[in-house]
Amino acid sequence: MKEFAKLFHDLDQSTKTNDRIELLVNYFSTANEDDSIWVCWFLSGNRIKGAIKTGELRLFSSERSGLPLWLIEESHDRVGDLAETISLLIGKKRKSQSISLNKLITEYVEPMISLNLDGRREMIFKIWDLLTEYELLPFHKLLTGGFRMGVSKGNLCKALARVGNVESSLIAQKIAGDWSPRNLSLAEILDPVDQEERFCKPFPFCLAHPLQEDVKKLGDVGDWQVEWKWDGIRAQLINRAGSGMIWSRGDESVGHSFPEILEAGKWLPGDLCLDGEILAWGKEGLRSFSRLQKRLGRKEPGPTILKREPVRFQAYDILRLNGEDLRRKTLEERRQIMEEVMSSLPNDFPIGLSDQVRENDWAQLSMIREESRKRGVEGFMLKKKDSIYQAGRVKGAWYKWKIDPFVADMVVVSAQLGHGKRSNLYSDYTLAVWDEKELVSVAKAYSGLTDDEIEKVDRYVRKNITGKFGPVRSVRPGLVFEIAFEGARGSSRHKSGVALRFPRINRWRKDKDIKEADSLETIRGYAGMVDEIELKDGIKVDNEGNLMLF
Amino acid sequence: MKSLIDKSILTVRREGLYCPAGDFYIDPKGRVENALITHAHSDHARAGHKNYLCSDSSRELLRIRIGKDGVLESLPFGKSQKIRDVYVSFHPAGHILGSAQIRIELKGMVWVVSGDYKPQPDRTSEPFELIKCHRFISECTFGLPVYKWQPEEVIHKEINNWWKKNKEDGKISLLFAYSLGKAQRVLAGLDPSLGIVYAHNAVHSFLNAYKNAGVELPEVKKVEKQKDYNGSIILAPPAVEDSSWTKNFRGARRGFASGWMAIRGPRKRKNVDRGFVLSDHADWSGLIDVITGTGAEKIMMTHGNGESISRYLTEKGIKTEVLADSVFQREEME
Repeated sequence: MKEFAKLFHDLDQSTKTNDRIELLVNYFSTANEDDSIWVCWFLSGNRIKGAIKTGELRLFSSERSGLPLWLIEESHDRVGDLAETISLLIGKKRKSQSISLNKLITEYVEPMISLNLDGRREMIFKIWDLLTEYELLPFHKLLTGGFRMGVSKGNLCKALARVGNVESSLIAQKIAGDWSPRNLSLAEILDPVDQEERFCKPFPFCLAHPLQEDVKKLGDVGDWQVEWKWDGIRAQLINRAGSGMIWSRGDESVGHSFPEILEAGKWLPGDLCLDGEILAWGKEGLRSFSRLQKRLGRKEPGPTILKREPVRFQAYDILRLNGEDLRRKTLEERRQIMEEVMSSLPNDFPIGLSDQVRENDWAQLSMIREESRKRGVEGFMLKKKDSIYQAGRVKGAWYKWKIDPFVADMVVVSAQLGHGKRSNLYSDYTLAVWDEKELVSVAKAYSGLTDDEIEKVDRYVRKNITGKFGPVRSVRPGLVFEIAFEGARGSSRHKSGVALRFPRINRWRKDKDIKEADSLETIRGYAGMVDEIELKDGIKVDNEGNLMLF
Repeated sequence: MKSLIDKSILTVRREGLYCPAGDFYIDPKGRVENALITHAHSDHARAGHKNYLCSDSSRELLRIRIGKDGVLESLPFGKSQKIRDVYVSFHPAGHILGSAQIRIELKGMVWVVSGDYKPQPDRTSEPFELIKCHRFISECTFGLPVYKWQPEEVIHKEINNWWKKNKEDGKISLLFAYSLGKAQRVLAGLDPSLGIVYAHNAVHSFLNAYKNAGVELPEVKKVEKQKDYNGSIILAPPAVEDSSWTKNFRGARRGFASGWMAIRGPRKRKNVDRGFVLSDHADWSGLIDVITGTGAEKIMMTHGNGESISRYLTEKGIKTEVLADSVFQREEME
């Protein structure tokens, strides 16, 4: 636990990515493997579920510190981060000896899952006695599940790759998806020759940059492969010895939600990996993203929903065929291979090929791009024909040339504390538009303001709080933001009955009065409500629309 | 009767706290006739008043702060002085050199205005004195239990270790600390055997007053252009953090010494390499100990997170009141 705590605090204090990687390399090369495999597991985005509820943690720390519960809440409000708040409030009188991370988790934290409230209280108190002051924050961080420490999965892979002297894409494959420190050891992760494992895991996805310059600067249109930018879920479809797997970009195995795609995959050649997009797709062709959402989060969809909400895997790249890694071939070569493999598929097959859009000049393409909204896509993808398939966001290879978003002026009606660097600033906002004489909320937005602006908004919020609802503070209307968004759909979560897709703050309209904000009617008209949908649990998608978690 | 006395001892005016029976203000804004000053920080001591009264050891610092104008008188700690109908005395507040709590007595009724204070030991400031009173007007900058200070020796050691490590890495240590009080407190804890100590002029200008008061400080050089600063430590006020002044110290490791550094959010937003939790205000338990120690029947809160500590004390059976927030702003520079 000592080494882990040191790693945590060092990472927390370092501001540069290279320093962080260096710290990880150091840690993984020296720490006990029983412990470090847990760190690897946590940094891969996993958490121990069900050990304790945050409400209980608040209650126990109130009992332990002798402070009233409301004061714990007030402190949390100031600090922003529950793990940090509790670590600061749990006084340590004596210095105690340390315990190993592995022991802490397997003998104390995991057993809590099956204990009742009193048992959990007893266990937490025991742990608090065991740990040193320095270890409290790292412990609470991994208990509350907020353990990221500014280390992306990519950087974790880079660090492990250096420790084991193997390729980082190989590491990325090994720590993708579901695993636990009980069935995977650090030695196995660092082992360069474990082939079988590789074939079942996705490759790190190649990601696109938004096109920010004039498209003509990309040069000859003939050097580029142009495709529609699908509005679905990015995924890799793997076929290995007759059994298939589908991996989302969040490295989740999502095949069980799309059995028809898995079934169809069996008809493709073996040892194959396709990169593409899962789309709602009926007899008439592409359907909206909101139709696809009816299929998300369902682990085993029944026959009715399968029939009513069919899906399709639209492939646009091939990464492996007959066990051969094709990523070093050019896109043009890969496309040719893929077209051969998929040439004879029937029309109603739930796996299809993403068509190319061929035109002779950019001007012509610009005009066709205007049809995007009507077609239900987000614009074009531009991919360099001579590019290899690289991991992550590589400059110059893939661009997304999206259509301009909708914009509307909206009023901040409530705010919530942010996370990480913004953990004690009110930086998450609920935004509303006018419905007759009433402000109704239509969106939540987190990003888009500068640090300076966030501090100013925070000051405004703190002075204008009109009510508290859990962590949410309602705010006297007074701030107008210009919000960009990609579309709208029906929602039961917002009072307005509408929710926006990917809303983000374009700018702070200091020049506008709240009366000048847009109306609900405008928003509805803008987006053209596609169809009604009600979803109780929010689906997590990143700001590009890629599914992150199931 | 009591409330009549109350009203003639202290009221809140636009300029700040005012004592009608003595016709003076405490740490006022604007331009007033008579100003009693608790300490020489710029949010308490402002130029432009006619007459000033402060503690003896605050005198030199206050003169630097307010400039040539204004009649300046001072009292030794503990000495009582009659001003019109009230008796006034200054008592050490432990915040910075010369910082005082102001005790006001009228017809057996005793009020104490805390100014900024800390009961924790600080070798650059007179130790805090607890005064029994009927009414205590307390600052509460760090009025939440998440604020818990370590002894200054611990922080001094942290700073020296940081400096030592930076020196070994061939780096400059650029440490930001409020120019009056905090900077001198940091300087007093530096280990001069580690290297050369420099300070920005804003810090340097107060050093003589500290030396004259008998505070031991290491030798501190002024920053000049075109020098090799590698391995040395430089103290500078937070105000110059983003200015061109810091360009002389490319690649320097940056630190910041303040009570606000106790929490990771502010520490990260400061974008420094290290935050040192060194505060010149009372922490939560310091506030509670002092407030209950005064035996006051009623506590009035200024400067800070008054609502929480007020509610906490009320639940413990102590009467409290939070004074208007617009007059007393939060301590940004600490």
